[in-house]
Amino acid sequence: MLSALDRRHTVAPPGYSRWLIPPAALAIHLCIGQVYATSVYKNSLIAHFDASQTAIGVIFSIAIVMLGLSAAVAGTWVEANGPRKAMFVSACFWAAGFLVGSLGIATKQLWLLYVGYGLLGGIGLGVGYISPVSTLIKWFPDRPGLATGLAIMGFGGGAMVASPLSRQLLSFYDPAYDPSNAGSTASGSALVWLFVTLGLGYFVIMMFGVANVRVPAEGWRPDGFDPASVAAKPLVTTANVSAANAVKTRSFWLLWVVLFCNVTAGIGILEQASPMIQDFFRDNGTSAVTVAAAGGFVGLLSLFNMAGRFVWSSTSDVIGRKPIYLVYLGVGMVLYALLALVGQTATALFVLLACVILSFYGGGFATVPAYLRDLFGTYQVGAIHGRLLTAWSAAGIAGPLIVNGFLDAQGEPGTLTAAAYRPALFTMVGVLAVGFVANLLVRPVPQRYHEPARGQSADEDTAVERSGTR
Amino acid sequence: MSDDGRHGQQARLWISWLVVAVLLGYGVVQTVITAAKLFTH
Repeated sequence: MLSALDRRHTVAPPGYSRWLIPPAALAIHLCIGQVYATSVYKNSLIAHFDASQTAIGVIFSIAIVMLGLSAAVAGTWVEANGPRKAMFVSACFWAAGFLVGSLGIATKQLWLLYVGYGLLGGIGLGVGYISPVSTLIKWFPDRPGLATGLAIMGFGGGAMVASPLSRQLLSFYDPAYDPSNAGSTASGSALVWLFVTLGLGYFVIMMFGVANVRVPAEGWRPDGFDPASVAAKPLVTTANVSAANAVKTRSFWLLWVVLFCNVTAGIGILEQASPMIQDFFRDNGTSAVTVAAAGGFVGLLSLFNMAGRFVWSSTSDVIGRKPIYLVYLGVGMVLYALLALVGQTATALFVLLACVILSFYGGGFATVPAYLRDLFGTYQVGAIHGRLLTAWSAAGIAGPLIVNGFLDAQGEPGTLTAAAYRPALFTMVGVLAVGFVANLLVRPVPQRYHEPARGQSADEDTAVERSGTR
Repeated sequence: MSDDGRHGQQARLWISWLVVAVLLGYGVVQTVITAAKLFTH
């Protein structure tokens, strides 16, 4: 039955609008972006299971680790089977994750939540994240940054949708729950219905993506597009490199370092945002920034994180991938240094600096598929992207470790000031400097890694299978 | 592509972008309401 979802059955007929592909990709990314909204019901889960912060936090960690692993392992499968089957599989895993998780909540079996949301949901995350990437790049050879920026913007937007929606659903299912009161927790049955509602709702929305996504016919190109105009830009190749060969190249690992450094620095701020703004403006033990205002700051960062994905990735189509990463990393270094040195002088300045930094963080995620396309061609760009996302998993561990490690040495939470953040922020300047140098060292991929010309076209399925058995 | 196909595709384009706009719009409006607290508290 799944063969109806195969790549060969999803080739677009003549006249098919390529503008149906971004909303198909967004339908997936807006749903899986929910993973960054798990903090909304974290306290309710802790109360329901009578478990520790760590025991509940592990659910999110398993999901993120599975995202990186499944994207890396399933990348070649996604390329071979096409976006429709990948999106369908992602929707099944993602929805099953919620449903198995709801069973765990209903029966008070925490391990079922680990297996459900963490393991199954995490596989849905990884497969879903990479599923539309190579298809978008093939439909938009003239504007790959814009296309992937639109989709990956959806991942940032997904948390913005899921956070308020989850609060409102929990209030609906448990009228005694007050989301404006930090100490209020929702009942177990409200959590069960929240998970069931989200699982079924996301499955339906993801099916929009499954129904609309198509791969372009062999040799298709947009009206008026001249491939020579793209190939004429520095670092852009017309050749193709398989995923198996890409990981043998120096440029792949340099790009891995670039992504790792950019994400590590961004996560450092993102993970600590709310207490950070309060600590920066603390005088005589009292912060001038209220808890509600700090929540507003986190919301503002989400907006800039999302907007940066679209704006900066689209800009990279004009100025090039390498220069835009020089901006993310180089200007980022200056902004981090300013944050450490003068961030405490005015709230507006602090907010402005942090917002621009977070826009670069989002931009780094969204621009990387187009950078990979430039270096390795379109042949297995989705699979290569999947392997590169292991940098995200690694940065997810390194970023918070760096910041929390320094802060733990400075004093107790609630007593820290701007000075306590300086060592961590200057470390981030160093991390960005490493990424900056790595980006400067990125070079075109040597010809010995290129696929033979005949492997680039004709029967892509066969070609993918051939490289997968190497 | 036939006229029917073209009309069907137009409808599909509108519905797809509408679903995305509603979802993203909801998220952005809710987040702006939250973010406004930064300037009002």
